[in-house]
Amino acid sequence: MMELNLSRLDYLQTGTTSPNSMQLLPATGKKEQTNKVAVADHSGVVQCFGIKKKELQSVFKTLPSQVKLTRMELGGPPGGIRDRIFVCAHSEIRGFSKKGKQFLTFETNLTDPIKAVYVEGGELLVGSNYIYNRYTDCTDSAYYLCPDRISDVLCLPPDKTDGLLSVVACEDKMLRMIQDSEMIYEFEIGGSPSTTKLYEGTGGEEGDEVIYGTRDGKLGLAQLSRLLPSQKWEVSNDKQHGGILSLDHYDIYADGIQELIVSRDDGMIEIYGYDENDEPILRHHQTFAESVTSIRGGVVSAPGYDELVCTTYSGWVSSLTTEPESSSKIKTSMPSTPVSSHSSAEPVKAEQYVGINHDTLERIVRIKDEIEELQNKVAVERERYQSMAAQGNSISAVPHFQVNNKWRLSRADASYILSIEVHTAIDFILLQSDVPVDLLDVDRNQAVVSYSATSVEDGNYLLTTYRCQANATRIEIKVRSIEGQYGRLTAYIAPRLHPKVCCVNEFPIKPLSLHERTHKWDDTRPSNSLSLRGQFSLAEVHSWIAFCLPDVPDRAPPGEKITMTFASTFLNTQLECCYSAGEAVFTSDSVSTISILKDVLSKEATNKKIRLDMSYDISDSSVPHVLELIHPLLEEQLTLAKNVQLIDALKDLQVHETDVSFLSDDYKGILENADELKEKYQRQPCYLQRLYGIITDLFIDKYKFKGQNSKNKVPALMEVLDNYSLESLIAFFSRN
Amino acid sequence: MKINPRMVSLGYFDGKHPSLACATTGGKVFIHSPHAPQEIYGGRLEGKGNSSISLLNINQSISAVISGSFNEEDRSSGDTLFIGTPTNFLAYNVHSNTDLFYKETADGSNALVIGKLGGLEKTMVIAGGNCSLQGFDKDGEEGFWTVTGDNVRSLELVDFNNDNQNELIVGSEDFDIRVFQEDAILAELSETDVILDLCRMSDNKFGYSLNNGTVGVYDKNTRLWRIKVSKVLYIITLPLTFNYFFQKSKNHPTSLHSFDLNGDGVDELITGWSNGKFDVRTDKAGEVIYKDNMKTAVAGIVHGNYKMDGNECLIIASTEGELKGFNQISPENASRGIAVDGITSATPGGGGGFGGSKSLQDTNTEQEALRELTQRKQNLLLELRNYEENLKASKMIRPSGLGELDQKEMGIIPADTTIQTSLTISAGTTHVGPHVNLIISTSNETIVRSAIIFAEGIFENECHVSHPPKQKIGQEMSISLFPNKDFPIDLHLKVFVGYKSSTQFHVFELSRQLPKFSMYALITKTDLPEPAGHVTFKIHERINRIVLWINQNFLLSEDFKCDGPDLNINFQALRTLGAVSFTMTGRGEVTIRTNDMDVAADLIQTLCTFLNIEDLQVTADFPEEMEKLGNILSKVDEFHAAGQKLTAEMADHSNIIKNLIVRAEDARLLGDIKSMRKNYMDLFNFNKDLINGYKVRSTNHTELLNCLKQLNQIIQKAGKLRG
Repeated sequence: MMELNLSRLDYLQTGTTSPNSMQLLPATGKKEQTNKVAVADHSGVVQCFGIKKKELQSVFKTLPSQVKLTRMELGGPPGGIRDRIFVCAHSEIRGFSKKGKQFLTFETNLTDPIKAVYVEGGELLVGSNYIYNRYTDCTDSAYYLCPDRISDVLCLPPDKTDGLLSVVACEDKMLRMIQDSEMIYEFEIGGSPSTTKLYEGTGGEEGDEVIYGTRDGKLGLAQLSRLLPSQKWEVSNDKQHGGILSLDHYDIYADGIQELIVSRDDGMIEIYGYDENDEPILRHHQTFAESVTSIRGGVVSAPGYDELVCTTYSGWVSSLTTEPESSSKIKTSMPSTPVSSHSSAEPVKAEQYVGINHDTLERIVRIKDEIEELQNKVAVERERYQSMAAQGNSISAVPHFQVNNKWRLSRADASYILSIEVHTAIDFILLQSDVPVDLLDVDRNQAVVSYSATSVEDGNYLLTTYRCQANATRIEIKVRSIEGQYGRLTAYIAPRLHPKVCCVNEFPIKPLSLHERTHKWDDTRPSNSLSLRGQFSLAEVHSWIAFCLPDVPDRAPPGEKITMTFASTFLNTQLECCYSAGEAVFTSDSVSTISILKDVLSKEATNKKIRLDMSYDISDSSVPHVLELIHPLLEEQLTLAKNVQLIDALKDLQVHETDVSFLSDDYKGILENADELKEKYQRQPCYLQRLYGIITDLFIDKYKFKGQNSKNKVPALMEVLDNYSLESLIAFFSRN
Repeated sequence: MKINPRMVSLGYFDGKHPSLACATTGGKVFIHSPHAPQEIYGGRLEGKGNSSISLLNINQSISAVISGSFNEEDRSSGDTLFIGTPTNFLAYNVHSNTDLFYKETADGSNALVIGKLGGLEKTMVIAGGNCSLQGFDKDGEEGFWTVTGDNVRSLELVDFNNDNQNELIVGSEDFDIRVFQEDAILAELSETDVILDLCRMSDNKFGYSLNNGTVGVYDKNTRLWRIKVSKVLYIITLPLTFNYFFQKSKNHPTSLHSFDLNGDGVDELITGWSNGKFDVRTDKAGEVIYKDNMKTAVAGIVHGNYKMDGNECLIIASTEGELKGFNQISPENASRGIAVDGITSATPGGGGGFGGSKSLQDTNTEQEALRELTQRKQNLLLELRNYEENLKASKMIRPSGLGELDQKEMGIIPADTTIQTSLTISAGTTHVGPHVNLIISTSNETIVRSAIIFAEGIFENECHVSHPPKQKIGQEMSISLFPNKDFPIDLHLKVFVGYKSSTQFHVFELSRQLPKFSMYALITKTDLPEPAGHVTFKIHERINRIVLWINQNFLLSEDFKCDGPDLNINFQALRTLGAVSFTMTGRGEVTIRTNDMDVAADLIQTLCTFLNIEDLQVTADFPEEMEKLGNILSKVDEFHAAGQKLTAEMADHSNIIKNLIVRAEDARLLGDIKSMRKNYMDLFNFNKDLINGYKVRSTNHTELLNCLKQLNQIIQKAGKLRG
């Protein structure tokens, strides 16, 4: 297979960018073979530039406005070239021609900001918080209210389908097919979608294939034919890379087949090719230091050399080009200053860069010059700021800086990934939690961690500082919570900026934090249930559920009686919440889940002074059922721990005995897979303790519902666990 | 083959061909000689015919391996291999497969170095053990002995003071680097963690590495630079900047070496890390000029003419036996300054080869430089924007402007807000031990939300966070500090100031120093019994200078003034609760009364540094310490006696065991199963006895070591009483 060699080239830096707010304009005519780059940022600027003779040339650049631009799409006449630029500014859609003329300002009058937009001829598809709207020539033509937040919209190519079919991706892991104002069907996918794209830009042969990326890093292809949707493939995120932000199709290998290009919020860029079964295979990957918000394939800097253009969160517009390094130096058009005078003024500094391309040197000198100028300016301002302290009555107000944070449950190891990204370098982060949580080591995290002594009586279960390395704008932290212990994780984030401020970000740790939303329900499992009756409204009970469980929309979905199902990411137990005004029923196969809900809900209701009638129905057979669910996990962990202990001794034998064929097959196996075993063991620290904790909770909860306190029997339980076998454990549970 | 960390050495054992000697598991040293295979086997040495690897059985856990020659001028006679174990020290001639000498070293030998020390004539190999340093010449005669503060972890010989004689540099577990000019301490450099490695560099500089992941270079008493490494990236701090703090790093350096890799005539510092990474830094500022990775932890770094092509090359060994080599760049290449060649493979007991040529510098440097500059520009622009917005906001302040609530949420504070800090001593309560209280308060109605204190050496990690619950937040915050050693501490504070409901806080950054003797409370009249121990000495200084010294080094609520002609001041040591009194007569006679010899020594040392006294005659009397010393000595005697008795018993037992085995095997051959069974049963019992005996012996030995350590420490403390 051909080796791809991509070198990074930076074009320019704009303000912070949202996902999918950069597009490549199609090349026009014979004279121009290169694409131009259009990018919109949070400072309200839309700009478009191209590269001509290695010189960066601006096509147009709008003035900054107060409103953040959050999305950019291209549109064009039906069947024609898509060369018109559409951007979202809160509830407004703006359209620009490729020359920069603003031909459209359309106020949708939606109350929430627009999250997603798609343009097809004269049709404008808009998704704001929960509302999908379609405008035909700027008049309202269709409307649909979704049960959960919309993350992306698109419509299948109208020339291949009968009528205008739009696909709305919602955060409840559903792709909804909508025709006019009616939903035709919903299709469940493996994660909460973040972005969707037509397969190969055209939707495949039938025009109904849609590629999607999810917030937890999965990729998939769904065939959404008019009547029956089907899943073509889904790539899981085993290596726990970041969530997917942007997708594109481009033939970067120049082999006639379009590759799938993916960018993620941990800075990962991946190129997938397809095998003979049209299943994707990873062919190349490369990492940036911050999240890559948009990615597009095209030809920008030099004709004949394909490249991937991407934007990062902090506003870098960069390219990964196939053009060899030496010839790909770009000059930016900067205020021209005579270079010679500077190189003579700073002979020492210039010397550092001996051997560097002259153009680059020139650029460096220019930037240095600019920096010096700015430094003087800043020094003056700094002084003025300092002198203000001497005058009474004045204030020190520092504008809020933006923090791009993500707090998501990682299914693979049932822990939360917290990622924090700031548009400038982070100095330090202080994490504080008022509930017990564990911080796990993240390989990509290069900050210096320091755990501080905590005092539980002050409500601090965790006080940890992360001192970041110079130029780190993004940090990832893994947090493990314990179900039933709920509260808040607070992050104080201080960027490396003067005057120094820190911003407070709070993340809820919910009582059933390790559950995730699903749409599956297994009837055959034994079930325990908890029913509530009382004077409460639907909104109230919905807010309680949102308080207890992740992935629940803020607003109650439409309908009088609502059913939601969840699964535990750790044990795979299930939970169903079925509620309406005045009544709620929770069903789960785990006694512990029911017990947590009971405790939290009664506390919440007491706080709100609402009287609740609670009744529960506990099934005795559910406990052995959960133990059986735990069994394979526990057994795997026990064997793993045992095998890892043996590795060193076996290795010693291997060194001193020339021939190890006398060993049993088991031991030989351990020796062969030693590294793999060790790695696995290190990846899951305290896993066993966590399982023991869950079993203990289950034991206590079981007897709590019977009105017995069984805490004194826990030591006996631990003894049983030390000599674990499923039978003896089940026997212990039923004996007592 | 596995390699124990830090136990890699390269020697020319036959005087011509280089060999690598590394300690491996099971008390063995393997010797890899690719050019001249070992010829003589037998005894300790085992190996197969012409194989390039031979194994040396030591039968004890090995604590140090070095090679070197007693004859520095003429190395053609071949290098000697030195092996240190916890109880013994062996000098071994590999070429002739003979022991040169074998010495018992009760203090063990954790670190070894060979060379000429000070004005001593003979080349010696110096072994550093449990607080002690012993030097042996080529006949195994002890030619040097002294003590140091704690377990020795690293040794190096460097001409520290440019007198053309080597000084011995000792890194020990009490975080100190001591420089010995023969047996007198020339300098003491305090570090913040266990000193793992020391290495000599060009121009009499030396590099060091600490357990917490710090690497640095000293030029005499001054630290040129140090770097704290956390995982992959580095924070470089040159002296005079303060943004540098400590923390237990996830990695620690496993070996340190100096070698002129880029051929510029100056040695670079090469550090190997426990995660398999190694990097090459310049000696002046610590910039990384090259870095690479091994698959597993780096075990050792050596250099030598290993390829026998006349070029010195650098060899890096990993714990799993992987070796990587790098050629030195020739000077003409160096001017262009890029490539380092990989050398051929030499991995004992494992495959793998060296890669082709490696690039010293990332080709993308220019792009990176540009990116960094643009980043800086962006930062400046952002800062400028902050000031602009601030100005805008301050103009907006009028009744109809920002609401009170908004203002609080935004964290807008009066521009004249300042932060005051004060330090007080607290004797503590029954729950909380004695401590120093740091009080942080704001100058107006704003509140202190949280404070982070970065300081070296007093917290478990690099910093301490105070984050009170919402109801306890106020204008003032009090933090207790527990310094457990007497040394000055720089506290760097980051204080979050705003309002209770703010979502954004101003961060105030300030520094404060905790004086060296902060844990000593001033007492006016003393109820405490007068300490029996005291030191007296005479100095020719005015009392005012001493008063100044007291004010600088003790934490006093107000400046101490001396009224009479004589100075008399009493303190209570908060940690030990004992009294410390300091008197000075008008004639310059100073008496320090305390039962703690350590405190007295510390006071004298600080005073001498303050007054620039090089030599001071001191009379000391510490009856308590002397009594302790006596006790320890008698205990040591007991342990020695017990040890000998146990050894005798063990010899007895092993004789019986030999007998039993012979008898049992005889019985087996004769088919007399019954007596065979009986003999084996007896054997089993004796074996059990032997194991029990061993356990007793080993506890006895640990106790003995403890005593010896205390003994050495008392000697060290007493030594420090001298000026």
